[in-house]
Parts: sequence; structure tokens; C-alpha cells
Amino acid sequence: MKRLWIAAALFSAMALSGSAQSLSDLNIELHGYATQGFLYTTENNIFSTNSSSGSPAWDEAVLNMTATPTPKLRVGMQARYFLLGNYGNKISLDWAAADYSFNDHVGVRFGKVKTPIGLLNEIQDLDPTYIWSLLPQSVYPLTSRNSTLTHYGGVVYGSFSLGQKKGDLDYRVFGGEQMVTADDPSITEGEEDSGIILPNGWGGTMLGATLKWKTPLQGLMFGATDVDFPAVWSSLAVYQGSNGTQSTPPSQSQWYFARYEKNKIMVAGEYSRQQYQGATQFPDAPDGDSTFRSDPRGWYAMASYKFTPKFALGAYVSQFVDWQLDYGPPRYSKDWTFSARYDFNQFLYAKAEQHFIEGTNIGYDDATNPNGLQPNTKLTILKIGVSF
Amino acid sequence: MKYRSRILILVAALLLFGSVARAQVIVIVNPGVSADSVSKAALEKIFTGTSTRLGSGERVVPVLLKEGPVHSAFLSTYLGKSPIALIINWRSLVLSGQGSMPKSFDSEAEMVSYVARTPTAIGYIGEKTAHDSVKVLEVK
Repeated sequence: MKRLWIAAALFSAMALSGSAQSLSDLNIELHGYATQGFLYTTENNIFSTNSSSGSPAWDEAVLNMTATPTPKLRVGMQARYFLLGNYGNKISLDWAAADYSFNDHVGVRFGKVKTPIGLLNEIQDLDPTYIWSLLPQSVYPLTSRNSTLTHYGGVVYGSFSLGQKKGDLDYRVFGGEQMVTADDPSITEGEEDSGIILPNGWGGTMLGATLKWKTPLQGLMFGATDVDFPAVWSSLAVYQGSNGTQSTPPSQSQWYFARYEKNKIMVAGEYSRQQYQGATQFPDAPDGDSTFRSDPRGWYAMASYKFTPKFALGAYVSQFVDWQLDYGPPRYSKDWTFSARYDFNQFLYAKAEQHFIEGTNIGYDDATNPNGLQPNTKLTILKIGVSF
Repeated sequence: MKYRSRILILVAALLLFGSVARAQVIVIVNPGVSADSVSKAALEKIFTGTSTRLGSGERVVPVLLKEGPVHSAFLSTYLGKSPIALIINWRSLVLSGQGSMPKSFDSEAEMVSYVARTPTAIGYIGEKTAHDSVKVLEVK
């Protein structure tokens, strides 16, 4: 099914670009970026790295190819290499899609596409596009971002003017299949906790919509996203060598966000809630039977200021709580962050960031923290990147 | 007192430079475009990739200069962005699959030549650059 979406996108692009006579007519472009990060934590090891000793195990490289065979048609694909501690260390397909824009009011994009959730989901894995070394983990957790970044399906998008004194309304309606592979950190972290393996990964049908109201006050925008998971998600599960199933019933998630951005100033905030529950069943290993409920709620408030075209400072406060867990550090994560970014030129940049983290819900795994977790950790990040 | 005077002179010079810069940059389109003007808001949307239409409904595709004082003046006057910020804006669209990078030119003469032969192109040049082959849009 996944390959069918990508094949449909590429076939449609070929059919609609029939007038192109040569490669130059296709207006092919290459873009990309690469980053090298360094993490140091005062207590716990974070993101499966040995950060308490200082770790350079955070690399990303992206290569993008885009063609515009006709003014309204765009086809592209993007590959990524990702390494974070013990995660990744492989090349994967970020997205591959065909995009046809009828006009400013209606366009359609399909294939493996970025999922337009919340304020930052579509760019959360694009380090060159924002000041932060690490986005607020309360809403954009790094090790589980693959579970929301893309889906196989489509997006219908567009914008309408509400009148000169009422601003503009942008909309995105999307649907398809969301999938993460068995080796994704969002899966392996759960396996550590429960001992249950999902050899085929995890995913299922999703439908959603995002609305953004760009107010008459230039730079001020309010938005909301609702995502429905209308069908039962079910996957093969393995517990102590016995096969079974993990399933989750229909559920919903919401994001609410706002941003003011003008000239040198940016202020933004976001709140998300992603409730779900599920069960695992093992006919031959009843010890593995379990039910689980999760009610994670996260929010952040951020601000940044560009002192010069090349230098910016920013800060954010971020909080995450899983209301289904017992009280204590594993239930929450709070983070005060201070960031700096310097652009040497349009290609080369550097970032520095300091986090003051309370709670242990996000970012920690058992393998690199065999002696348990301290409730608080300070995290320092240095990063250098090139983009073109 | 001397220091304060220097500050005042500097502020006055910056204000004067800003107004001079705005007067020196003009927006150009292919002669086939029927519109005679464009709003500042529409111009900002077109050159940041959030719209492809003039107020008349005509479709346009932005083109950019790679660098230079005219490029910087256009960005600061009509988009409120630095050259680096504009590139970051477009890269966020390209790398997320939502857009393609506008064509960019080393010189204003190259931009004029491209806009003159490309029906949907919209660009910008210094007002003293030869532009008989293109149409000038008034920015309102």
C-alpha cells in the first residue's frame, strides 16, 4: 500500500509532465543539509547516547531532489541519513510526492508526504530552518518524531482571504496511513519497558485537518489541528517467543497553537493532547497480556530575537505530563532552554543550547542508564550545520 | 554632547537611507501581465511562497537576485527579512516538500532579460537599471 501511494505520485507526475522535452525543461534542483551535534549531560544519558561523557553521536544529512515540469506541478523526493546514539544509522526515504497546485485555494499532494500537524511538525526534522538545536520535546519528541512526521496518502491544501479586515484562512486536510518501522526509537523504547516486540512496526489509518487563521494584524496567526485514528490499529506482537497482537481502538489527538512573528521578533506557543489506549494479547503466553492507557499532554512557550541578520537568541519553557502515570519524575518532563544561532553565511551555521530538564518521561532509555535515572539533568548541545 | 550629536546624525542617515532604498527598488513583471499595481501584503506572500497570485488574480512566479544592495533593500522594505532569513524561509518549503526554490540571478540585467521573456515572472531591480522590456508594478 505504501509503495502504491509513491508509485501513483510518480506516475501522475510523469503523465502530467508530458510536455517536457528535456531534463532542463523539468527544472530539476538539488538541495539538502548536514549537521553534526554534540551532547553533554550532567546526570542521565539522553537519547541513547553516552552524553554524560560527552557524545558526538548525533548526525543528520538530507538530500532533496525537486522537479517542476510544469508551473503547477512539482515532484520531489528526499532521502535522509540519521544517527542518534543507538538509533538510526541508516538511510531512509523522508518523503516522495507529487504536488499539483490548481490555484492558491486548492492544491493536492500525495505519495509519502509530510503530515501538516501543529505549528512545526512539517519542519521539525529540518534543523536549518529554526533557531533551536532541539525543539520542545513536550510536543515534538525527537526519538518518536517518525511516528508523526509523514504519512502515506495525501494532503489537500489551500488558502482563502476572509476579507481585508479579517485576514486569511489556510487549511490542510490530510489522510492515509501512518507507519513506523520496527527499529524506530518510538517502538524500541516501548519494547524496553514492556518486553513486547513489534516485528512489523506499528501504524494504521489516520485522518486530520489543520486550520491556520492569519489575522489582520500582520505576523499573528492562530491554528488548530485535529487528527482522528478512525480504525483499530493492530499489529503482530511477540512476547518471550510467543506470537500475539497489540491493538488500539479509535482515538483522537489535538494541537492548538499561535505565533507572532514580525521582523526580529518571534513568539509562539502550542498545546497538544494525544490520548490512546490499547491491549496486548498472547494466547500462548498470558503473562504478556496487558492493557495500557496514555494521556500525554504537552505545551511550550517560546520566543526569539534576531539581534543581527546573522545572530539570534531564543528561549523556551516546555512541559509534558502523562496523566495516566503515577506521580513522580517518570510522569513528567519540564525543560527551560536557552538557545543561540549564528549564520556565518547562507550555507554555514552554528547553534548552542542549554537545557535545564526536570522529570524523566522523555528522552531516556534503560540501556544507557543501567543504574537508573536522576530526576533532573542539565543538557548542553553544540551543533554545526551546512545547508544548500 | 558630541556623542549625542553623532547618534542623531547616524539615525537621520539611516532613516534617509531607508527612504532612498525604497525609492530605488522597483517591482517588474512580464509585459503580458495586465495588473498595474500590487499590494505590499501580496508582494510579501508571493516572495515568501504563500501565494502565487496578484490582486488581479493573475498567476506569478517570483525570481530573486542572489545578493547586492538592491536585493537587500527589496527584502527589508517589502518582506521585512534579511537575505539569510529569506533563504531559510524557502529552504523550509523545499525541504518539507511544499515548494521549489525560486530562480536567482547574479545581475539585474539577467533578471530583466528573464522577466521579459517569461510570462509569469515577477522580480525587482534598481530603478536606474534599464527596464524598457518589462512592466513596472506600483506597490501600494
